[in-house]
Amino acid sequence: MTANADLLKALRDVVGREHVLHKPEDLLVYELDGTFDRALPEAVVFPGDTEEVRGVVRACNARDVPVTPRGAGTGLSGGAVPARQGVVLATARMRRILDVDPVERTAMVEPGVPNIRLSEVAAEHGLFYAPDPSSQKACTIGGNVAENAGGPHCLALGVTTNHVIGMEIVTASGEVEWLGSRGPDPTGYDLRGLFIGSEGTLGIATKVVVRLLPVPETVVTLLAIFDDVESASETVSAVIGAGLVPAALEMMDRVTLQAAEAGLRCGYPPDAGAVLLVELDGIEEVVLGQVTQARAACNEHGATEIRTATEPAERELLWKGRKGAIGALGRIAPNYYLLDGVVPRSKLVETMGDVSRISEGYGFPVANVFHAGDGNLHPCLLFDEREEGATARVLEAGGEIMRVCVDAGGALTGEHGVGFEKNRFMPWLYSETDLENMRRVRGVFGNEGAFNPCKVLPEGAGCGEMAHQKGALAAAGPDAYV
Amino acid sequence: MTGWPLAEDAPDTADLAKCVHCGLCVNACPTYAITGLEVESPRGRIHLARAVAEERIPITEAVQGHWELCLQCRACEAVCPSGVPYGHIMERARAQLDAAPPSKGWERRLRRFALRNVIARPRVLAAMLTPVRWFARSPLRGLVRASGLLRFTGPLGRLEAQLGRPGRPFRPRDGAGEGEVALFTGCVMGELFGDVHRASVRVLERSGAKVFAPRGQGCCGALSAHDGDLEQARRLARANIAALEESGAETIVVNSAGCGAAMKEYGELLAEDGEFAERAEVMATRVVDFSEYLAGRDLPAGRLRGRVAYQDACHLAHAQGISSEPRALLGAVEGCELVETEGADMCCGAAGIYSLVQPGMSGELRARKAAQFREHRPDVIVTANPGCQMQYEAAVREAGIEARVLHVAEALDEAQDGG
Ligand SMILES: Cc1cc2nc3c(=O)[nH]c(=O)nc-3n(C[C@H](O)[C@H](O)[C@H](O)COP(=O)(O)OP(=O)(O)OC[C@H]3O[C@@H](n4cnc5c(N)ncnc54)[C@H](O)[C@@H]3O)c2cc1C
Ligand code: SF4
Ligand code: SF4
Repeated sequence: MTANADLLKALRDVVGREHVLHKPEDLLVYELDGTFDRALPEAVVFPGDTEEVRGVVRACNARDVPVTPRGAGTGLSGGAVPARQGVVLATARMRRILDVDPVERTAMVEPGVPNIRLSEVAAEHGLFYAPDPSSQKACTIGGNVAENAGGPHCLALGVTTNHVIGMEIVTASGEVEWLGSRGPDPTGYDLRGLFIGSEGTLGIATKVVVRLLPVPETVVTLLAIFDDVESASETVSAVIGAGLVPAALEMMDRVTLQAAEAGLRCGYPPDAGAVLLVELDGIEEVVLGQVTQARAACNEHGATEIRTATEPAERELLWKGRKGAIGALGRIAPNYYLLDGVVPRSKLVETMGDVSRISEGYGFPVANVFHAGDGNLHPCLLFDEREEGATARVLEAGGEIMRVCVDAGGALTGEHGVGFEKNRFMPWLYSETDLENMRRVRGVFGNEGAFNPCKVLPEGAGCGEMAHQKGALAAAGPDAYV
Repeated sequence: MTGWPLAEDAPDTADLAKCVHCGLCVNACPTYAITGLEVESPRGRIHLARAVAEERIPITEAVQGHWELCLQCRACEAVCPSGVPYGHIMERARAQLDAAPPSKGWERRLRRFALRNVIARPRVLAAMLTPVRWFARSPLRGLVRASGLLRFTGPLGRLEAQLGRPGRPFRPRDGAGEGEVALFTGCVMGELFGDVHRASVRVLERSGAKVFAPRGQGCCGALSAHDGDLEQARRLARANIAALEESGAETIVVNSAGCGAAMKEYGELLAEDGEFAERAEVMATRVVDFSEYLAGRDLPAGRLRGRVAYQDACHLAHAQGISSEPRALLGAVEGCELVETEGADMCCGAAGIYSLVQPGMSGELRARKAAQFREHRPDVIVTANPGCQMQYEAAVREAGIEARVLHVAEALDEAQDGG
């Protein structure tokens, strides 16, 4: 038997013949996620429960075949791309909501449940699940756990790690374990916290227990329109400075507004320089007071118009535009390179200036959408991958922008993860000792390098098509930044 | 560089490039919902088309299978933020299958023959369907059903299982005369759903419209286009445009969602046609859906008692963006309690001739509807497309409930008639 035939047989024995894909055409669609890193798997397998996940991991480990977990493949750092080929383990069959406890306000779900589905089910009990990535219609809870996903509504409430209280995992070595619990915070090391945000490099979450929150009594969304990004940014500082913590505080620039309006017809002013979406929620009297305060801050900093949406349908329309904004960029350019950097809020305006300087230098138009409230920038460089050398250059530009963020005292990622895409930049932030410690953590979960390889930590050769990142690194300067 | 066998009707490279593989469409897709497979998702199907265009793979049997399992319901297109014209892409991908089918060639040829020579020819269609109609209403049907004979006839048996009790046909001559508003009569619609046409005429007239059915009109071409026979679709479009121009009607009301969507896109279909390109654009602007037309007009309110579950027709909700209008029309009827079932806007699996050629997936989708009906127990199920009505009849039987299936026009007509 060839190595491949032996692997396929082993996988089929675990999950059943119909749940293993191996035809070249079928594998092709699993070569990528939401960004442009690509690598073809040798097989894609769909386990139906924890036992089967364990079986698959063990079968692969026994044959030294790399395993890469995959949720919905909306990731933006190549996390689900099988960098060293091997097996893609997809959670698409594990999408049951196991239970909802409206009294304890928790739910236990399988990892393949789409984020939106959890919110819909929670809504039947007057509850909601707070982290709402813009990709929530598609992305899975397992993927959210892996990336510690955030969303527009995470400013006041926190990201995934603040809402996942426990989970069952199958470790990289094929053991089933529980991390965290259903009850109050356990004592001892917080392995749950360690797993969340580990980008699928420590194991596979097979059951996830989440906290649900009661739907707020009153919600008001403001759309404040500005002539330029600077005034909008100053308003952000003023709002936070006034002691308000809005449920969401989002900014979009002109290019983004035009794309979103063209694609989603949500009533945005396409001629504005920038808009802020400010959402306030809570008890009615408090919210109304906050709305007055927020409006005042907007007016003081040059808002030309402020629209107020209180009806669910009106608010939904405003959010539809924001949540679809990045996808809508596809209307104005064939490809975008979506960056995800964080800078201290006070450096927002300055960094934005650097971003446009760099992208102009490379000749790429840039669209900006961001979670302004927490300084999480999402500049999108617009390009066409069919143009000779465009991908390499856009990655170079991205590298420079990441460098600017790090130099401003920020971080490499706000919510999309380091993944395949930014692992080479890690030495800018971490010493060799730090990186070695992180490698050891992997070892604790039994990952000797073959479980979701080439992600998060810089690794040597053999990692798919990632050679193009060399240029990015060269452009951004020496990696001596520690 | 292109790997398409039929270059002139190949998916447009620029259309394919619009997909930024964000994945936001996958959960809207019925075939993904059922299978959980990326290859049975819009993003996967587009990625395969790109791979063919870039000559990374030929159109293999597997590729054909993934494209053919697509319902062309266009739910993905409606939610795609990037504006990927999925329907357009898939019609052209199918045209490639039609030109050089990796497998099931005879089946495709047979289908094409039937679409070209039966469906598209009013007289032939009438001659073929008259005995069908007769059979469907006769006691013989019960006997044949009981005998189990039809189980061995494949698509024929499936067709029989879905066939309701068709009323008298309604052909253009039945609505001949003069007026301002033309009713589009279609092909199968007129033969098997004459009652819907008659109800439409009455409701439109009560709204103050002067309705007639222009001569010379025929099949809209949607079935051929979806199957990849764009040549035939263009032929039918040209014939309809000529007939409808001749009629002088400024407004063409269409009560079949699939036909309406196709006719609103005549401009794109005939964009390369020197003689017809402009005329097609103009004709497309005259086409309105039945609910869309009534939305802005005064209607007698009427009465209709019971729980009514409106189920979106894909080509109305996703392709034409019309979903609140029919609900509003029904909601305005006294006594009508609208119930929203989960997945009301998800394809029922009828999808033109899909239920005949993909019975497995079609059945899965029907079962989802049946489960919802069992849970919500509506008295009436209302939709806006003839093929869907047959599928819902079957879903109701499957659910084991007592519910009637009506077209929006029939529901409104009944209500206005006194309920
Ligand atoms: C248009 C668009 C908008 C987006 N907006 C946001 C946003 O607002 N906020 C945000 O945070 N992200 C956003 N993202 C990024 C992405 O949606 C998130 O990272 C999401 O959490 C990925 O989930 P997924 O199910 O698609 O995972 P995938 O892309 O399939 O995988 C992501 C990573 O998770 C791992 N993984 C998947 N399942 C498991 C599991 N069960 N156990 C362990 N590891 C697993 C994979 O190995 C991979 O490393 C956006 C993406 C797009 C395309
Ligand atoms: S079709 Fe649209 S929604 Fe779907 S992956 Fe492509 S760009 Fe995204
Ligand atoms: S048209 Fe319907 S079935 Fe086909 S890919 Fe789109 S959503 Fe899926």
